[in-house]
Amino acid sequence: MKRSLRIAAAALVVALVHPTDLVAQQTAAQPAAAVAIRNATIVPVVGPRVAGGTIVLRNGLIEAVGAGVTVPAGAQVIDGTGLFVYPGLIDSGTRLGLTEIGSVPGGEDTQELGEFNPHNDALSAVNPSSEIIPTVRVNGVTTAITSARGGVIAGQAALIDLMGWTPQEMGVLPRAGMVVTFPRIRSGRRFGGEGGQQGAEAQAEEVNRQTRALRTYLANAKAYAEIKARLAAGSPGTQEVSLPMEAMVPVMRGESPVIFEVETAEQIRGALAIADSFRLRIILRGARFAWQLADTLAARRIPVIVGPTVSSPDDRDPYDAVYAYPGALARAGVKIAFQTDAGADSRNLAYNAALSTAYGLDPEEALRSVTINAAQIWGVADRYGSLEVGKVANVIVTTGDPLDARTQLRHIFIRGQAVPFTDRHDRLYEQFRARPRS
Amino acid sequence: MTLGCRSGALSLAVALGALSVHAGAPACLDAQVPAQAPPAPQAAATPPQQTGVPPLQAPIPPAGRLVAITNATILTGSHGTIERGTILIRDGRIAEVGTNVQVPAGAQVIDGTGKYVMPGIIDSHAHTALEAVNEGSNSVTSEVRVEDVLRQDGGGIYRELAGGVTTIQVYHGSANTIGGQSSTLKLRYGLPVDSLFFQGAPLGLKFALGENVRQTNNQPQPGQPRRYPFTRMGVEEVLRDAFTRAQAYRREWQAYETARRAVRRGQPEPLPPRRDLQLDPLVDILEGRRLAHVHAYRAEEMLMMMGVARDFGFRVASFEHGLEGYKIGNELAAAGTGVSTFADFWAYKLEAWDAIPQNAALMAERGVVVSINSDSDERSRRLYQEAAKTVHYGGASEEEALRMITLNPARQLGIDGRTGSIDVGKDADLAIFNGHPFAPGSRVEKTLVDGRVFFDRDRAPTLENLIEQMRQRQPRQGGRPVTSAGGTQ
Repeated sequence: MKRSLRIAAAALVVALVHPTDLVAQQTAAQPAAAVAIRNATIVPVVGPRVAGGTIVLRNGLIEAVGAGVTVPAGAQVIDGTGLFVYPGLIDSGTRLGLTEIGSVPGGEDTQELGEFNPHNDALSAVNPSSEIIPTVRVNGVTTAITSARGGVIAGQAALIDLMGWTPQEMGVLPRAGMVVTFPRIRSGRRFGGEGGQQGAEAQAEEVNRQTRALRTYLANAKAYAEIKARLAAGSPGTQEVSLPMEAMVPVMRGESPVIFEVETAEQIRGALAIADSFRLRIILRGARFAWQLADTLAARRIPVIVGPTVSSPDDRDPYDAVYAYPGALARAGVKIAFQTDAGADSRNLAYNAALSTAYGLDPEEALRSVTINAAQIWGVADRYGSLEVGKVANVIVTTGDPLDARTQLRHIFIRGQAVPFTDRHDRLYEQFRARPRS
Repeated sequence: MTLGCRSGALSLAVALGALSVHAGAPACLDAQVPAQAPPAPQAAATPPQQTGVPPLQAPIPPAGRLVAITNATILTGSHGTIERGTILIRDGRIAEVGTNVQVPAGAQVIDGTGKYVMPGIIDSHAHTALEAVNEGSNSVTSEVRVEDVLRQDGGGIYRELAGGVTTIQVYHGSANTIGGQSSTLKLRYGLPVDSLFFQGAPLGLKFALGENVRQTNNQPQPGQPRRYPFTRMGVEEVLRDAFTRAQAYRREWQAYETARRAVRRGQPEPLPPRRDLQLDPLVDILEGRRLAHVHAYRAEEMLMMMGVARDFGFRVASFEHGLEGYKIGNELAAAGTGVSTFADFWAYKLEAWDAIPQNAALMAERGVVVSINSDSDERSRRLYQEAAKTVHYGGASEEEALRMITLNPARQLGIDGRTGSIDVGKDADLAIFNGHPFAPGSRVEKTLVDGRVFFDRDRAPTLENLIEQMRQRQPRQGGRPVTSAGGTQ
């Protein structure tokens, strides 16, 4: 089983370091003892709930899960009576590890200069010692997409597990997708907003310029990839190496998806047109007006990363538009996953999804959209997103529904390792709770 | 009470087409607006392009003399939960609450079966419906008033109502040490701006300490001089100087009053001192007629402010944000100073680096009156979820968490005699949810202010309605999108 898993992982990932090896390396130093959570309600996400079930974690993976599972000898046993076991939550858009204190100079490391930076890898800048990351994982988020932003092509997003000694250790997919912001009018949310006609015209012109520049860039990248392929096939000639163009090659081959940051229906149509022109595989992110094209997106199987739902609509849109659009997309058959688009606020991932369940999103689909849907969209569903034998042991043990803010987390495992509940908040809390009352 | 009931705002409302019928009505309306005809059916009249917020000209909800919410789970906020209870509202006030309430004939009945009713949410720190937020050009601008820049706002107020909020405190920003005079509003959406004022609410004045005042995160434009103060030490000096001037000014007036009273018949009256619009509100605070609400983050600046208050003989009503309040729970409780904080917002600036999500619960444990506020139109409309986080992080009880967005902010604003809990005699400010307000799938169904339904999801334009309308308008197209060249907007 483990062997085939490795092969599957190797086929999927063009990684600096093999992630499954990482799990093995990390756990090799640990005692080989298994952890068994017994007599809990297991919510595997992909199948029915199992009451009074047991899950066994060993060597960073889920070794067994279900109703009739025997606890292996020597396993550390956790009594799960009254508790629930879920897969770790996946936030499909954050700045984790790249941001610490926003207002302090140097505190935010996400915005490169220039408009085209496809060669920027988010993973290499992730700070594994960030004080924010522990506060996020103790709320059940074990895995996240993190990426730069800004410009037109911001760079490569990384899928990371929220624990590890180095960024490379944290990496699940060092190159999960190319972040492209669809050119947009920036002051005011929509066309013809504030700034008057003159301002709107100038801005529309800038949007056109950026869109043309994006198309030109993609055309160059396409040519570069074609030349590279022909040279590899034996054609005589040489090619000057360009790092940005090299980064675009897997994108132009359709191996790596484009994460298109979009908002309006016009932008979505534009993104689809570009995807058609260059045969790109795209994932839409943000896309708060995607409900206007829900049937199209469903038919074309284009996934949408929704959220953050903690956001206000325009006055001209329904008051519940931001809460309700994930449900509208899901009902139309679009695959959705949630993002927080945040650093510290990434811990509110489940509560973002909860707001949508109050406005038409099926609660089970909401849960899938922070677990298995995300894993599927990012191409790691063979290893992440559900409680199944052989998957990476990212597991949370709770007192109830993780979407309910009243729920407590009791145990968290990332790659089978127990996550400490001590974070910056916890340390300060204990310190000042101990202050004498007088 | 000097809250503004000025004709300017009213005529603005009239100019916007907002209910010209009100032009002849008293400018200051509080729960006594004449009843309107029942609203016409809305859906048909609403064009799909402008479906977000009901137009301000929408008929306002009628003021029913008798309204009953029956068979609901009632979270009173003051005396526990009542299962299958009824609330009877008479003339905008709660007349009866309990399980044995008789519904009189002729009452407008809202069936609360399966619903939860909680006190209307009070957001004690908002900037909604303001044309301008910061004066900020001087360090002391106590003369400016929020009530002068209130606008006939559509979206912000409507969406807050849709989140169960019935009362908000609107403040100036935190750009300078003394920002200006705040206002307490009731969210009577659709009525002229003057009708929003919460008549009888205590006056307030907004102060600010820390990074925003120091302008450390907002560098001045090139060539523009820095504004004093640039340090927390300077902020304290500005405060002490302002109150010292206020004391001197107050003595001038006291001397004048004494002299005037001593005037004998036939003698000329003494001339009054020149009215100082900046110092008047500070004298109000010295004399306990106005509440001091102080934006602060760090523990030591809160201690400094309490020291200033002690020296000048007043009490700080509330620290706004007070993210490090948990460090000085003892001192806050002893001073009777409340804290209105965020549930879990942190790390966005250096002074928010020691913020912890257990802050609210830990301060409450030490006896501080704690509320959870929004400081944003966006957070305001889901304040119930923010309150639930205090259960998650600090282990607050659900009742305590509920009070942090109802009775506690009411106490901090000095309006707890009027609103903030479901008790007989209080204004019928209520939010009706389809489930427990802290449960993930719960949303607001109806929001009542003074017993009138100002938000009703059954009549509200929703995304679902809009999608349905668009489906009907144009037959569904095939799977391929209509693509435009290159995606120009």
